[in-house]
Amino acid sequence: MKVAYYSPLPPSRSGIADYSALLLPALRERIEVVTAEPGKRTPAADVALYHVGNDPDAHGWIVDALLKRPGLVVLHEYVLHHLIAGVTIGRRNGRAYLDAMERELGVAGRLLGLGVLDNLLPLLWETQPERFPLAGPVLDRAHGLIVHSAYVADRARAAGYEGPLWRIPHPAWPMTAVPSASDVSGEPLVGCFGFLNMNKRIPELLEAFASFRRDRPGARLLLAGGAAERFDVQRRLERLGLTEGVDRIDYVPEDRMWSLMAACDVLVNLRYPTMGETSGSVIRALSLGKPLVVSDVGWFSELPDDVVLKVPVGDMEVDVLRAALDVATDHGTALGSAARGYVEREHALGKVADRYVEAIEVSAGGDAVRDAVLWRVADAAAAAGISDVSALARELRESGLA
Amino acid sequence: MRVAVCAPQVPFVRGGAELMAEDLVAALRARGHEADLVTIPFKWYPGTRVLDQAFLWRLADLTESDGRPIDRVIATKFPAYCVRHPNKVAWVLHQFRQAYDYDRTELGQFDESPEDRATRRAVEQLDAVALAEARKVFATSQNVADRLRRFSEVEATVLPHPPQALRYREAEQEGFVLSVNRLDRAKRIDLLIEAAKRQSSLRVVITGEGPDRERLERLASGLNGQVRFAGRVDADELADLYARSLAVYYAPVDEDFGMVPYEAFLSGKPVITALDAGGPLEVVRDRETGVVVAPEPEAIAQACAYLAANADEAKLWGRAGRAIAERVTWDACVDALLS
Repeated sequence: MKVAYYSPLPPSRSGIADYSALLLPALRERIEVVTAEPGKRTPAADVALYHVGNDPDAHGWIVDALLKRPGLVVLHEYVLHHLIAGVTIGRRNGRAYLDAMERELGVAGRLLGLGVLDNLLPLLWETQPERFPLAGPVLDRAHGLIVHSAYVADRARAAGYEGPLWRIPHPAWPMTAVPSASDVSGEPLVGCFGFLNMNKRIPELLEAFASFRRDRPGARLLLAGGAAERFDVQRRLERLGLTEGVDRIDYVPEDRMWSLMAACDVLVNLRYPTMGETSGSVIRALSLGKPLVVSDVGWFSELPDDVVLKVPVGDMEVDVLRAALDVATDHGTALGSAARGYVEREHALGKVADRYVEAIEVSAGGDAVRDAVLWRVADAAAAAGISDVSALARELRESGLA
Repeated sequence: MRVAVCAPQVPFVRGGAELMAEDLVAALRARGHEADLVTIPFKWYPGTRVLDQAFLWRLADLTESDGRPIDRVIATKFPAYCVRHPNKVAWVLHQFRQAYDYDRTELGQFDESPEDRATRRAVEQLDAVALAEARKVFATSQNVADRLRRFSEVEATVLPHPPQALRYREAEQEGFVLSVNRLDRAKRIDLLIEAAKRQSSLRVVITGEGPDRERLERLASGLNGQVRFAGRVDADELADLYARSLAVYYAPVDEDFGMVPYEAFLSGKPVITALDAGGPLEVVRDRETGVVVAPEPEAIAQACAYLAANADEAKLWGRAGRAIAERVTWDACVDALLS
């Protein structure tokens, strides 16, 4: 059994590239894997596995391959509007964009799409992508679907996807002793890792941290990650009087990120709106046994209540976040220990790889098995004069046999 | 209570599983329940046939019979436990092992083709669905319970079943080692024959039939009557062989449960088994109720020689085993299955 594996890989800087770098060795221990590369010939294999995320630069070529040959899709996030716009409008194929919008919302969708193409409406993938996820073109070509959360699974089903679906947790990195960075400190040191933009609720975090630091003057906040173009972190820090309490570090390589995370006492990973994505940073934080504060949305909501502190998005967000920082600081050991136990139990790399093999095997041979069983059942029914086998087919489906 | 005992039937093949199902029906009837055995022929090859056969059980309607409800269904093994019933209890002798621990071994049946791999996955999926429907899952041994947990994440209560009702008795041993088993490769009767080749004083009686008989007879040729194939024997003859044996050999590969050690114990005989025999190891304890050795002819030959030279010790171990076997009763099984 051989699987053709489509994914961005390092040195590409993306969470999905990191994900595949982690998963691939474990997968290769279990099954033959050949990695596909952009611009190269399609590798021969029994089944193709496509990692799909929202970045058209990283995933456009993967969607092209999927459109040519359906296969098993790993849907890393549900909202794919940016991706679909990139592979349609970005390639001067506005008609395909209109088709995708119509697939999503019917005639109204097509009209909205026309508004975008004619510059009468703002770019929907920038202003409100979560309202128009555009996952349809990908779901239509998926013979099997792997998702990381019930959030994405529910939306895929609601969008009409009826094929086999596996919910497989994001794998955790095998833990070795991680040395803490010695050039950062705070009492406590609060860390926020990843690309900084409005979605990460940085304004809310800064406001809550300013309040937190008034009671705990030794506290420091470490913001590690590049900032969005129009997101002026420095100006916000000055306005909140936080220039002394916050350290900014731009993109950091993997090893440095681990040691910085290990040095933190509390980690924060907020998100809104969510595109249905998981977060490698969250898995890293839990693996390190750090108390973690997240937004109570999407996949983050599905994390156990005794493992992370969840902050609802809305009017009380800053106040609750401030309280969560207190709790995380004062009860860090218990939270961290629960976090580590949870990750070892539910996100173990070997377990994740086993589930992938299951999905790959079913995707590769499932249709043939289904056809063989259905054919014999239908044949026996026909011999008995029964031409409508829909009830039998339903029984087979409910039993997982077809 | 009206109880349907569901067990698959492999036409012209009869072994411990069939005996267990029949004995369960008899035990239920003896306790005043209305019980009947429901079977469907099972053929698990080639390829996806195993799924068609399992599907037959899904189509069977056992909610009532002849206008009266069936209160409970007790299913003993794959694919019988795929039957649907609101009060289904699975008393699992074993799953379809070709899809699990036998997979990718010489005992497996699925190759590396996408269709075979997906068929194996469909069996897994069917087990997940069927066993989750059961109001309670029992396993006949810890070994089977461990496999259910490992492969299907199903928690099962261990409930061993009593052996078949024979006229068990103790008699003066006549020096032979008895094998009671179906003659197929997984039972490893060849190891006992090889042991006899290494030790000329060892006499062996092999009961049972099966696809491996011809090979085993060839292996035993030239042993000057040291090995006797008794074929299928009736209940009285079997009880007699147990009673007159020195010890009983029972060393299959990772067996689910195995009634033979219990039958040997009730006849006051120790059991020779192997370190990797699985279920039997739950009752055959080395130098307490028998001898546990490596699955190698030399080790088995030495075990047989030891028991022959220490007949009094062998008798003591057999009696210690009897105390274990006598604790397993149909009363306890029926109470658990109907609770």
